[in-house]
Amino acid sequence: MRTSAYTVLGLLVLSALTWAHFTGWAPGVDEVKNVPTSVRESPGSYRAIYRGPRSYTGAK
Amino acid sequence: VVVACSACGAVLDAQDADHRLIAREAEQRRVEPAIPLGARGRLKGEPFEVLGFLVREITVDGDPYAWGEYLLGGPEGQVRWLTEYQGHWILARATTGLPEVGRDRAARYLDIRFRHFQTAEAQVRYVIGEFPWQVRVGERAWVSDFVAPPHILSCERTADETTWSIGEHVDGERLWKAFGLPGSPPVRVGVGVVQPSPLAPHLSRVLWLLAGFAAAAVLVHLAFVLLSQQRTVYEGRFVYRPGAPGAAVVTDSFVLEGRRSNVVIETRTDVSNAWVYFNFALIDEAGGRALDFGREVSYYFGRNGDGAWQEGAPEDRAWLPAVPAGRYYLLIEPETVGAGNPVTYTVRVRRDVPRPLYFWFVLGILVVPPAVLGYRQLRFEHQRWLESDHPMLGRGGRGGDDDED
Repeated sequence: MRTSAYTVLGLLVLSALTWAHFTGWAPGVDEVKNVPTSVRESPGSYRAIYRGPRSYTGAK
Repeated sequence: VVVACSACGAVLDAQDADHRLIAREAEQRRVEPAIPLGARGRLKGEPFEVLGFLVREITVDGDPYAWGEYLLGGPEGQVRWLTEYQGHWILARATTGLPEVGRDRAARYLDIRFRHFQTAEAQVRYVIGEFPWQVRVGERAWVSDFVAPPHILSCERTADETTWSIGEHVDGERLWKAFGLPGSPPVRVGVGVVQPSPLAPHLSRVLWLLAGFAAAAVLVHLAFVLLSQQRTVYEGRFVYRPGAPGAAVVTDSFVLEGRRSNVVIETRTDVSNAWVYFNFALIDEAGGRALDFGREVSYYFGRNGDGAWQEGAPEDRAWLPAVPAGRYYLLIEPETVGAGNPVTYTVRVRRDVPRPLYFWFVLGILVVPPAVLGYRQLRFEHQRWLESDHPMLGRGGRGGDDDED
């Protein structure tokens, strides 16, 4: 029973590896639709989702 | 031949014409054998009858450890020993040859290597039934056990003789069935000296499977490394001047080809004891869709009382999933606090790059079940060897830890 469960796990994990490699899967990023064509001419006009003030304080 | 009466407790020499009395039960403390004398059954296809029963005992660090030994006799004069200790049963017979004991204290017999388990002086504490030799309470012998589960090789030495026997673990339930005994066998306590590990066969198979899966994972990864595009589709260099207007830039267009696959954005900077946050958007020229993501690049270093230290890195790599083919460009908007030094950064876009992290992640998942099984197997063996002269990690129940006979 243990062996067959491990066989199933192994096959699933290998399938997931193949699928992830093939599709280029990665933890998702946000997709935005209807981006205005004016972005190229005026890059500052586009407000990215992640844009905002940062407050890094990580250094020693 | 000795006969010990279970009713009156008298131990008689059956070969003496007057049936000389050897011992009285008064010298013994009464013990009820789990398998009654006279019980008959078939073991390994051979019929046997329980002829005698004795209890032997060793003392380790002042603590007595006793076990039962049943003498079984067959119709053709076969003799077997059935021993029971804490619910663990072993069926033994005399060896037909002399085992070899090497310098490594291991014994070899019938092409099996037996590891030394324990040597102790055993004393007969109780005896009833019929025995083909004189046996009496108080009789002593040095007993050495060598194990190769489920087999055991035992050597018994007295001043007059040395005898070897080879035994095998027997399941108590099967024994009860074989002898047609009512009830159930004594409850097993701990791990028997040659009790087969229920985990060992699984562990062996799972380790083989792990080897197979790991090899398959390597092949899958290598196949994608060889067959993937891994093509640099864009590379550009920019300068970011904190505090100055116009930090946001767009790159030239680049084409992503092939099937839906990943895109890697590599950013290299010359930040030094500073950080820059990059707002990225990978924008599809045709569809007006954008993939938004942000990456922080921070790199700090210095020296303190513990010596040199550093934190972070001046470069970064972002993986965008499943991006369809098309013409794209990047919108990059760096930001930081204050008005620091200008930061020069390069951005490189690569298409269809196999991610090594996935291979290691898969390997990590595959290793977990064998590791858990291996740990449990180790615990099982630890329990087995706990009562030996060579405990694996120190002794629990018994004191002392030496290799002396």
